[in-house]
Amino acid sequence: MKTKFSSILTLLLAFVVQITFAQEQTITGTVTDEDGLPLPGVNVLVKGTSAGTQTDFDGNYSITADQSDVLVFSFVGLTTAEYPVGNNTTIDVVLEADAAQLDEVVVTALGIERDKKSLGYATQEVDGSEVSDVPTTNFMNSLSGKVAGLKVKSSGTMGGSSDIVIRGNSSITGNNQALFVIDGTPISNATPNTAGQRSGTGGYDYGNAAADINPDDIASMNVLKGAAATALYGARAANGVIIIETKKGQKGKGIGISINSTLMTSRADKETLPKYQQEYGAGYGQYYASEDGYFSLYDVDGDGNLDETTPFTEDASFGAAFDPNRMIYQWNSIYPQLDTYQQATPWVAGEHTPNDIWETGSTAINSVALDGGTDKSNFRLGFTNMMTDGNLPNARMKRNTIKFSGGHDFTDDLSIGTNLTYIKSDGRGRYGTGYDSENPMQSFRQWYQTNVDIYEQRDAYFQTGENITWNPNSPTNLTPIYMDNPYWTRYENFQTDTRNRYIGNININYEINDIFSVLGRFSFDTYDEIQEERRNVGSSGVSGYSRYNNRAAEYNYDAILNFNHDIATDLNLDGNLGMNLRRNQNHSIRASTNGGLNAPGFYALSNSADPLNPPSEYDATSMVDGLYARVGLGYLDTYFVEGTIRRDRSSTLPKGENTFYYPSISTSVILTNAINADWLNFAKLRANYAEVGNDTSPYRVFNTYAISAPFAGQGIANNNFSLNNVELKPELAKSYELGLEANFLDRRIGFDVSYYNTQTENQITPVPVSNATGFGRVWLNAGTVENKGVEVSLNLNPIRSEDFNWNMNINWARNRSEVLELAPGIDNLELAGLQGGVSINAAPDEPYGAIRGRDYVYDDAGNRIVNDAGFYLRSATSNEIIGNIQPDWTGGVSNTFQYKNLSLDFLIDVQEGGDIFSLDTWYGFATGLYDRSVGPNDLGNPVRDAVADGGGVILEGVTEDGQPNTTRVDAGYYGTPFGYARDANKGHVYDASFVKLREASLTYAFGEEMIERLPFTRASISVVGRNLWIIHKNIPYSDPEAGLSAGNIQGYQSGAYPAFREIGASVKLNF
Amino acid sequence: MKKLLVTFIALSTLWSCQTDEQYEDLNRDPKNPTEVAADFLFTSASVNLADQLASPNVNLNITRFIAQYLTATTYLDEPNYDLNNRNIPQNHWSILYRNVLFNLQDAKERVQANEMLDEAQRSARIGQIEVLEVYAWQVLVDSFGDIPYTEALNGKDNSLPAYDDAATIYNDLLSRLESAHTNLGAGQGFAGSDVIYNGDMAKWQKFANSLQVRLAARTDNWSEVEEAVGRGVFESNADNATMDYQSSPPNTNPLWVDLVQSGRSDYVVANTVVDIMNDLDDPRRMVYFDDNIEPYTGGTYGGSNSFQSYTHIGPDFRDPTHTGILMDYAELNFHLSYAAMEGAGLDNDAEGYYEEAITASMEYWLGEDVDASGYLSQSEVAYDGSMEQLGTQFWIAMFDNPVEGWSVWRKFDAPELNLPEESGNPVPLRYTYPVNEQNLNEDNYDAAASAIGGDDQQTPLFWDN
Repeated sequence: MKTKFSSILTLLLAFVVQITFAQEQTITGTVTDEDGLPLPGVNVLVKGTSAGTQTDFDGNYSITADQSDVLVFSFVGLTTAEYPVGNNTTIDVVLEADAAQLDEVVVTALGIERDKKSLGYATQEVDGSEVSDVPTTNFMNSLSGKVAGLKVKSSGTMGGSSDIVIRGNSSITGNNQALFVIDGTPISNATPNTAGQRSGTGGYDYGNAAADINPDDIASMNVLKGAAATALYGARAANGVIIIETKKGQKGKGIGISINSTLMTSRADKETLPKYQQEYGAGYGQYYASEDGYFSLYDVDGDGNLDETTPFTEDASFGAAFDPNRMIYQWNSIYPQLDTYQQATPWVAGEHTPNDIWETGSTAINSVALDGGTDKSNFRLGFTNMMTDGNLPNARMKRNTIKFSGGHDFTDDLSIGTNLTYIKSDGRGRYGTGYDSENPMQSFRQWYQTNVDIYEQRDAYFQTGENITWNPNSPTNLTPIYMDNPYWTRYENFQTDTRNRYIGNININYEINDIFSVLGRFSFDTYDEIQEERRNVGSSGVSGYSRYNNRAAEYNYDAILNFNHDIATDLNLDGNLGMNLRRNQNHSIRASTNGGLNAPGFYALSNSADPLNPPSEYDATSMVDGLYARVGLGYLDTYFVEGTIRRDRSSTLPKGENTFYYPSISTSVILTNAINADWLNFAKLRANYAEVGNDTSPYRVFNTYAISAPFAGQGIANNNFSLNNVELKPELAKSYELGLEANFLDRRIGFDVSYYNTQTENQITPVPVSNATGFGRVWLNAGTVENKGVEVSLNLNPIRSEDFNWNMNINWARNRSEVLELAPGIDNLELAGLQGGVSINAAPDEPYGAIRGRDYVYDDAGNRIVNDAGFYLRSATSNEIIGNIQPDWTGGVSNTFQYKNLSLDFLIDVQEGGDIFSLDTWYGFATGLYDRSVGPNDLGNPVRDAVADGGGVILEGVTEDGQPNTTRVDAGYYGTPFGYARDANKGHVYDASFVKLREASLTYAFGEEMIERLPFTRASISVVGRNLWIIHKNIPYSDPEAGLSAGNIQGYQSGAYPAFREIGASVKLNF
Repeated sequence: MKKLLVTFIALSTLWSCQTDEQYEDLNRDPKNPTEVAADFLFTSASVNLADQLASPNVNLNITRFIAQYLTATTYLDEPNYDLNNRNIPQNHWSILYRNVLFNLQDAKERVQANEMLDEAQRSARIGQIEVLEVYAWQVLVDSFGDIPYTEALNGKDNSLPAYDDAATIYNDLLSRLESAHTNLGAGQGFAGSDVIYNGDMAKWQKFANSLQVRLAARTDNWSEVEEAVGRGVFESNADNATMDYQSSPPNTNPLWVDLVQSGRSDYVVANTVVDIMNDLDDPRRMVYFDDNIEPYTGGTYGGSNSFQSYTHIGPDFRDPTHTGILMDYAELNFHLSYAAMEGAGLDNDAEGYYEEAITASMEYWLGEDVDASGYLSQSEVAYDGSMEQLGTQFWIAMFDNPVEGWSVWRKFDAPELNLPEESGNPVPLRYTYPVNEQNLNEDNYDAAASAIGGDDQQTPLFWDN
C-alpha cells in the first residue's frame, strides 16, 4: 500500500507546472435568475477552453480571461448566455428559464446530433462524472441504478463480466447485451468465457470486452432504449445502445492538464459469506472405523497401535462434536514435511475459517490528460493507468489506456476528426468460478471440514511449496482426493491473460452547402488476447496447461449524407441517407496439454505428458451491408415526425433470405407550445413504432462435421449436436413505445415516463428435439418473446437555496417478459441444464428464465407433504417451475446535497424479485458447514443428536392423510432433510431482492480564493465508496447479485464470491 | 444536387458490390468440413459404442452399479438407482442415437453414394455398419423397451418420432443380421478404419451370427439360434469383438478416466460380487479384484464405504489400454447353453456349452494356459442344469461387460442381488425414458409409456419374464 501512495505523489509532482497566459485580467460578477435571486453553481467557462469556475452561493464568480475571450454562463434548465470580455472587469448576468430546452442536443444513432425535443423515443443521458467519480474497474457497474430500464449485474469476481440488459431479454438463446458505441465506433462487448464457465462447470470469468473503456475518458453517455431509437444501427442494436462520447479538446487556445488520482480499497462483506458452525468437525456421519464411528483409524505415530484420525477424505462437517480434551491425528500429522508430523492435536474448530482467506484489495486509478487547441484544431491526449490487487491471494489486474482525439478544420466546410485508443489489459490470478477445484469457494461454501484452520493450510503451503491439503486420500496416499490446499490453488494453479486492443476512427465531414453535408467514416475495433490456464502437478485431477489465442476485429465503413432545410416558414425537413459496411472477423485457437504435465511447474504445450490432441480452431468472417434513410419533419417547432427505413444484407443467412428491410416511425409533440401554464415549464408527448430485423452468428446454415483426435491413427468425425438449416430467415422485432416527459414548478420537478412493448418473432433458435432424431437441437426460426414495461425517471430539486442545494434523481423500471411461443410441439426450451438438477428455461406463457427443478409436494392448502419417515415428498420430475430469474422491478435513487464547497452524493440501488438457485446451500446444507445446522431443536436438545436421543427435527408440513407432521427425523448426517440428499431444489431457491447503498461520495471543491494561491484552475478532493452497505437482502450467506458470467444464464450461484466494500479517495486537479 | 446524390448512391452500391454467393461463401466454415469419408464416421461410431459400454461414469452408464459389480464410496445416489439426478437415461439414449446410430446411418449413406467402391466393397462395408447398428439398437431396447426405431434418425424431417414395439424391433434386428452375414461375405469392407477386427471379414461374420445368438436366445427364439450357429459363430476368444484402447487420452478405456485420471476414489468392488466369488473361491478374483486388503471384502452395496477398507477393482482394469468388450466367446457359450437347455437343436449339449463358457472366461482373464477343470468340478460350479447356476456363472463372466451383465440378471433372475443399503430400492428392470423425451416428444412418449405398462424402473421388458 505504501509504495502505491508514494508513486501517486511522484506522479502528481511531475505535473505541477506553472502555465501562464498573456493579457490576462480578472473578471468578477454576479449571476442571478429572472427574479433577481442569485444563482449558485452556475458554470462559467472561457469559451473554447476547459478553463472555468462556478458561481459561489451568492451567485458571485471570479475568473481570469483575456480581453478577446468570450465567457459562457450555463446552468441546467436555464438558457446559456455568452458575453465577450472586452475591457470589462465586471460582468453581471441574468439567466432566463429555458422554456423549451431548445438547446439540448443529444447524440443519437450513428452519431447524429439531434434536438432532444424532436425525438419521438426515450433516451436517457448519463454524465461522464457519474461513471468516473466513484471509479470501478468496469465502468458498466457504475450505470447500475442510474438509468431506468437498464439492468447491470456484475458477476462478482475480480475483472469479471457484467451483464447489461436494456428492457429485458428479447432473444431466447442469442445475445441480449446492449451495444456500445464509442465516438461513433461500435465496439465489441464479447465475453470470452467458455460455455462451461457460463453454466457453472468451472473456468475463469475473463470479463466483457467493453469494460476496457476508460471511465476517465468518458464525457457523456446516452442510452438509446427502444427499437425506434436504434433502428438506424440495424440488427445489431436490437438490445439497445449505449452511446459514449469521449472527452475532447476545445478549439480556442491554451493547453490544459487534468489529473485524476483515485485509490480504493476493498474488503469482503461478511454478510455475503458463510457463517460456519463451530461445534462439530469432519465427517459425513457416524460410520467410520473408530469406536464412536466418527474417526478413521490409522497408525499415524508409528507405535504399532491404531490412532484416531480425521476422516481425511470426507469434505463435510457432520462429524464428532468438538472436544478440546480429545486428541486427534489431523491432516497436519500425516505430512512428514511438517513440524507437526505424527502429532495429535485437540479436536477443536479451526481458529481461522475460510473467511480469513480474504485480503484487503486495492484499486489505484491515475490519469493524466492534456488538451487544447488552436482556432482550427483541437486535441486531447489522455493516459490512464489502473492497477488492481484482488482480495484473494495472487490476484492482480492492470490496464493502461492511451487515447488521442483530435480534429482539424481544413476550410470552413471541410473538417477531419480522429479518435485513437490503445488499451492493454493484463490479468493474473482471476478467480476460478463454478463447480471446480480452481474455485476455492466451491470448497468454502459446499465441501469443507470446520476443524481445519485455514492459516495452518497457508503456512503449510508456504513452508513446503507443496499441495499439503486437508483432504488427502489417506495417510499412506497423500495425493488430494477432492480439494487442494486453497493457497496451492491460488499460487500454483493461476491463470494469466493479456489483451491488446486498438479502437479508433477517422471521419471526414464536408458541408456542401447550407442544406447538405456529407460524412465519411472508417472505424475499427481490433484486439488480440491470450488466456493461459495452469494446473500444476500435484493438484487434484489432471495437471495441465491450456492456452487460448483469440483475435477479433470489427471494421465499419460509413457514408452518410445529411440534409436540413426549412422548406417553408415553420416547416423544417431534415434527414440522412447512409450506408454502412460492417465486417467482423474472429480467429481463435485453444490448445491444451493431454494427460497432464510431465515436469511440474513448466507451463508449455511441449510439456504434455501424452501427445497433444488437435487444438480447436475457429475462423469466421461475417459481413453486413446496410443502406438506410431517415426523414424528419418539424412544424412550428412543436410537431415532429420522422421515419426511417433500413435494408440489411447479411452473410450469416442463406443466400435467398439474406436481405431484409425494416421501417420505423416516431413522432413527438411539444405540449407546452399549445398549453400555456405557469407551473408547467415543459411537456412533450412521444410515440413510435419500429421493426428491426436481425441475422445470426456465422455457420448456422450448412451442416458440418466435428473432427477430433484420431483413434489408433484413424480419423474421427462426428455429426454435430445441432442440425443447421439452409432455410433460416431473418428474425424480426416489432415494438411500440409511448412516452411523456415534463418539467414543473421552475423545473424543480421533472419526470419522464415510457411504456413499451416489443415482440421478437421468428427467432433463430437451436430448438431441442428428441435425440432419437440423431440430433440434440435443430436451428429453426421459432419462438416469440414479448417484453413490455414501464420506465419512470423523476428529477427533484426539493431545496435550492443560497448555500444549500438538494437534487434527487429516481429511476424505476418494470419489465414483464413472456415467451409467447416456441417451435411447434416444443413446450420448453432449456437454456442451460445446471448441476444440482435444475435448469434455466424459456417456457411458453412464462416469463423468460424459468428455473425448473424438483419441488415439494403440496396438499390443497399449500402445505408441504411429508412421507411416513417424516421427510418431505419431492416431485417425481425435475420439471417443476420453482422460480424465475427476472426481477419484478429495478430502481435507483440518487441524491446530491451541495453545501457551499462540499457536496455529498449517494446512490441507493434496488431490485425487487427475481430468484436464485443456490448450489452452495444445496450441497452446503448437506455437509454441515453452516451455523444453521447446529443448535437446539424443539425439545431443546442438540438438533444433531440422533432422534433416539431426542435430537433431530420435525419438518413443518402434513402427512399424506392431512395430519400435521409429528415425526422427528435425523439432521446430524449428510442425509439431513435440508441438503441435496433429501431436500427439494425449491428449498434452495432464494429471492434475489436487494437494497444497496451502491455509491457514496463526499467532495470538497477548492474555492476561487484558494485556487488563486495554487497552480490549479480547478481542484477537488473526494472520499468515495462503493457497495458500502447491503441494506436489505433475502439470500443468506451470499450476495444476491453474485453469478457466473454475463449472459443469459443467471439466477444460479455455485461457489459464489462475496460482495466487496470499496472505500477510497480521489483527487482531481486541472491546470 | 442530383449529381451528388447519384455519386453517393453509386459509391454506396460499389462498396457493397459483393455478390450473394460471395456472402454465402463467408458462411462456409473453413475449420469444420461439410463432407467426410465414411471411414471417419465408422471408426468414430465404433469407439463411441465401445466407450459407452465400458464407461463407469455416473453420468453415462451405471450398469456396473446396477449389476452390482461395483459400488460407490461416498456419493450414493446412483448405486441407489437414482437415474434422474444425473440424467443417465438421457445421456445413454443420446450417445447411442446421436454418436453411434446416426453416424453409422450417415456412414452407410456415404458408402452407398461412393462411386469409387465396387458393389462388393459397398456391401461388405454396409454389413459391418449393420452389425454395429443392430448392436446399438439392441442395447437401446434392452435399456428402455419400446423406442423410436422406424421413424428415428430423420433429423428435422421427423422431429417427433413414434416409438416402436420392442419385440417387433428385435425381430427386425434378427433379419438384419441375417442379411448382414450375406453382405459381409461379399468382399472387403472397412479395413484400417475398422478398429474392431481390422477388416477381417470372416470374424465380422462370426460376430454378426454370435450377436444373432444373443438376440435370439434372449427372446427364446430357438430357430434363429440354430440358424445363426449354422452360419458360424465365435470359435474361440480370438474371435471376440473387442476394442483395443490406446494409452493416451482421449482414446483410453473410459474406466481409466474415472478410476485413475480423475484422481478420485469413488469406486470399490461391491460385496455382491465379492461374496459370491469368495464362496466359489473363484480364481478370476485375482484379476477382477485388487489385493489392497486381505481377504477380498466388497463394499456394502449402496451404502457408504471407506475406500481404504474395501477391495478395489483389479489393476488390469486401471490400465488405460484395458480392452473393451462388445461380445466375447464366453457370452456366446452361455447363450448357447441356455438355448440347449431349453431345447434348441445344437451340436453340443447345455453342459458342454456351460463348461466351454466358463473355460473361455477363465482363459480370457487368466491366460490360455489356465486349467479350469478344478473350478468346474467344484460342487457349486459343476453343471447342475439349474437356471440359477447358469445365471450366476454368466453374470460372473460378464463382470467387464456390465450392460450384458444387467441383462443376464434380468433374464435369469440370478444371482440374487442385494437391495441397496441406503434406499432399499429394488434393482431396476429398465431405465426410465429420458426426461427430455417427456418434454420434446410428449405424445409419443405417453403412448410408449402406456404400451409398455408404465414408464417405471420396475416395468419388465418383453423378454424378461
